[in-house]
Amino acid sequence: MATPAAKRIHGPVSEPDFMNVTKGIRSWLITLDHKRIGMMYLFGILISLLVGGAFALIVRTELFLPGKQLVAGDTYNQFFTLHGAVMVFLVIIPGIPAALGNIIMPIQLGAPDVAFPRLNLASFYLWVSGAILLVLTIPFGSLDTGWTLYTPYSLESKTPVLIAVCGVFLLGFSSIFTGLNFIVTIHKFRPQGMGWFQLPLNVWAIYATGIMQVLATPVLGITVLLLAVERFAHIGIFDPTLGGDPVLFQHFFWFYSHPAVYIMIIPGMGVISELISTFSRKPIFGYRFIAYSSISLALLSFLVWGHHMFVSGQSRLANMVFSALTFTVGIPSAIKVFNWVATLYKGDIRLKTPMLYALSFLLLFTIGGLTGLFLGILSVDVHLHDTYFVVAHFHYVMMGSTLVAFLGALHYWWPKFTGRMYPESLGKICAIGVFFGFNLTFLPQFVMGSRGMPRRYWDYDPHYQIYHQLSTVGAFVLGISIFISVMYLFASFKNGPKAPRNPWGGSSLEWQAPTPPTLYNFEKPPVLHELYNYDDIVEVEPDVWERITPTEVEPAVADEIAKKTGTATEHTAGATEADKAAAMIHAKAEEVKAESKLDESSRAKPLDPAKLPDEIEIAKKVAGAGELVPAEQKLAEAEAEAKAKAAEPAKEESDKEKK
Amino acid sequence: MSTAHDAHHDDHGHGHHGSRFIQHHYDDAQHQFDAGKLGIWIFLAQEVLFFSALFVAYILYRVHHGELYSYAHKYLDVKYGAINTAILIFSSLTAAWAVRCAQRNERAGLILCLATTIACAFGFLGIKYIEYSHKYHEQLLFGRYFDPCVSPGGNEFITKSNDCPGSKGSVHWDFGAGKATEGCYESSTIDQDPQTEGVQADCQVFETKVRIARGADGKETVTETSRKPIAERCHEWSLEEAEAEAEGGKQEAPEKFPCWKPSYQPAVCPDLTDATARAKGTAARPQVGILVEYGDHEERGEDIVIKAECKPAPKVTKELDILGTPEHPMQLGKPTIVKSHELTTHERHELEAMGPPPDHTNMFFTIYFAMTGLHGIHVFAGILVFMWLLIRALKGHFTPDYFGPIDYAALYWHIVDLIWIFLFPLLYLIH
Repeated sequence: MATPAAKRIHGPVSEPDFMNVTKGIRSWLITLDHKRIGMMYLFGILISLLVGGAFALIVRTELFLPGKQLVAGDTYNQFFTLHGAVMVFLVIIPGIPAALGNIIMPIQLGAPDVAFPRLNLASFYLWVSGAILLVLTIPFGSLDTGWTLYTPYSLESKTPVLIAVCGVFLLGFSSIFTGLNFIVTIHKFRPQGMGWFQLPLNVWAIYATGIMQVLATPVLGITVLLLAVERFAHIGIFDPTLGGDPVLFQHFFWFYSHPAVYIMIIPGMGVISELISTFSRKPIFGYRFIAYSSISLALLSFLVWGHHMFVSGQSRLANMVFSALTFTVGIPSAIKVFNWVATLYKGDIRLKTPMLYALSFLLLFTIGGLTGLFLGILSVDVHLHDTYFVVAHFHYVMMGSTLVAFLGALHYWWPKFTGRMYPESLGKICAIGVFFGFNLTFLPQFVMGSRGMPRRYWDYDPHYQIYHQLSTVGAFVLGISIFISVMYLFASFKNGPKAPRNPWGGSSLEWQAPTPPTLYNFEKPPVLHELYNYDDIVEVEPDVWERITPTEVEPAVADEIAKKTGTATEHTAGATEADKAAAMIHAKAEEVKAESKLDESSRAKPLDPAKLPDEIEIAKKVAGAGELVPAEQKLAEAEAEAKAKAAEPAKEESDKEKK
Repeated sequence: MSTAHDAHHDDHGHGHHGSRFIQHHYDDAQHQFDAGKLGIWIFLAQEVLFFSALFVAYILYRVHHGELYSYAHKYLDVKYGAINTAILIFSSLTAAWAVRCAQRNERAGLILCLATTIACAFGFLGIKYIEYSHKYHEQLLFGRYFDPCVSPGGNEFITKSNDCPGSKGSVHWDFGAGKATEGCYESSTIDQDPQTEGVQADCQVFETKVRIARGADGKETVTETSRKPIAERCHEWSLEEAEAEAEGGKQEAPEKFPCWKPSYQPAVCPDLTDATARAKGTAARPQVGILVEYGDHEERGEDIVIKAECKPAPKVTKELDILGTPEHPMQLGKPTIVKSHELTTHERHELEAMGPPPDHTNMFFTIYFAMTGLHGIHVFAGILVFMWLLIRALKGHFTPDYFGPIDYAALYWHIVDLIWIFLFPLLYLIH
């Protein structure tokens, strides 16, 4: 066994990494590689983050003082609407699953790609089209209905609602197809030995998210479709003057949008499980509870949509039921927070940038989750609905939790998929800047919300001024920190120091892949180890970790495993030439067996015995002579089988003749 | 895929997987088939949820406004619906048979079954076209465009017709006289938008004080004690005026209170689309509600009732003028196309039994068109998918080793069929 130092590899040895295996922009635009697709998503999402953030800073600047500063009235409405729509639909919902899930999740499974690579590319282009349509509203008058598009105003608004909802429709299908792809990948591409309870918690989270994406997003699709048809053709389903019901829109909208917020947070929680475990050098506490809580959140999230509508005029009974269910849905989230804190206890904590984000998450998500419960109390919600309290609550969970988890995950996996390290001290400064700026922005909003400041107002009574000013200053600190983060990440892409295979000492499979990964993710088949067990991972140099037990197998060993399990083909992760030859022969033998089983009447064409020996000759050459005993054994077996089968058709034909 | 990969493996024919359509990251054909099967079932689950909102809307409106459904479903022709149902069920059979043919490598059978499925789908859409065009001609449309109406006498039935040239006309069924006269009549107001401003102007609002006395038998008697007109209509601020005022512009003249204005609050105003009101000649354009403002806040004591009464529309010379307002009486010109026939007994019974359409009958057609329209779009998408499969089958892509796309498309077709099997009884077969 080679020494750890010698095994340390900064990049792949024999194959180029996935970014260099083909060159040119066309190879990226029509790629089927999940890693490239994920990186394109990431690029788009980071740009959208900066655009949505710019809108937010304009809103906050306007609110610095009472009265008009920059924008007022209708224009102000357009800015907060676009901020919401861009952030929700282009950044937070796709965020972790589409970008990081695409890049990392198949590698964590040891799989060569997702189940449906072409569908993956289609999802990306649907995202791009939806983004273009949303942005296209801007020159035509933008959108001023609020991102929630409530009727009846969204039916009457002079802004191009139709273009915007077409964009939302396409973005919805992007989300659905991504979720579908991930669910099938997790079911069908787990390696031997990785059962459901050996999955990394990140994968559990993506699975739960996929369930919600597939079941909830179609309801958004039909809702915006009905809205579009209503605007265009006045069918009357939401318009009270024609006999329709505007509150029905709210029910349909929130039936999707509540699970949507869980689509946002659950991948974040999956990431946090990974980060906390790795940076405490401890297995995650209560693995099964976290796994089950992800699924139960996915299911319970469908039952609480009415808590957005406590004051919409729905019945008292509905209000009480939704309030009670809202309390129930807080339980799985709380279980996770307890488990993460328990993981930290007596852990060997390393305060790297991803861990700073993870610790921020713990505090900010607790605040966000608890304030959500406050809003779930009926009597309290009557006062707090449509105030800044709600705004602060959802920013704590969507931004303070999901976006912080996204940034943490981005820094955690950045070395793996780019092969470069970002500047660590700058990373820590920006993480602290995000934490400080975020709290400065949104804590005052809780206070002024509880004192009556309504949301979506461009002007206000002077006694709220101090809170707005603190909030605006905080927003700029936050915005600058995020902007600097994005900038140094982009810069490190070209200029950063090369990253080792495992800079953090992570235990899941992606840390065994080359840095950056090869086209099919692994050079040699990875070995599964006990999940979240850090005992045999040691830091051989600062920020370079290695397992002292084998992480890769020699080809002969891989062959043995393959022969036993019968699952190797030339495309198994990291197969060598010998594996490929053996697999080819094996497959041919299978084909021969299968064809002989077919009904005579449906046989396409009789087996051509003359062809077989040639292919075996080629295979022999490829396999090389002498070294690989198992391959030769297989060869001999297959030859014998093939000759026997070739004899059979002749025998069967003669039998037939006899009949 | 990538060129580096291609450099390793030149032959993709019958080398390793049997079919060239088995993708590289799958172990074998079975692995790919299983993954695809799971994928299509998940897609079908999301299709169910896609239609769910419309089914929920159907249920809500049927629970709250059942009379619309009992009335309006009679406009639907069960015969066409039944033929469509039979066509779709048969096409599901041919789709499943196509899978069997592919599995057994029966190329001719596969092509025949795919082609038959496509033909059935076209047949379905053809009958849909017939039904929709009938609705269009009878103006039995969704939302704002629904406009058959009833004359004051209650024994005449007027439907709008799109067959008339120029401005809209109407068909006049006079079953009192046992006659149906189809004619195109000029009308200047038959399409008047109910939401236009001027239409509300003929409303007179009264604040009526009542005394509610509860008798010994528990019955309530309501007696009017005084009645005061609220003459002022509240000024409605436009957005520009509000912004100007916020920026410290000049103030408007102070509002005179109490004042009234239209609002979305129902039940304050008597429903002026009521056929009885129309019959009495007291009808005006439908209004949604009236809100009375007393200074800074609204008051509604228990013994104050706000009534909106509408001045009766002036008598007009032509008895068919039921849609006019005082400002814009409906003018009837010379009929340009007149066809007449005696009503059959059946027609007379039908029309008498149907009577005037209840209010918001348009909602039934909204639901009908939304559901069948969305379903029709899915049938059309299915046609495109099956045509693509047919082309591939003709090229010989499908083998017993690789027939996944046919299996998945047949599953999709089954769910399209299943949705229709729900739609048909819910829309066509109700009482």
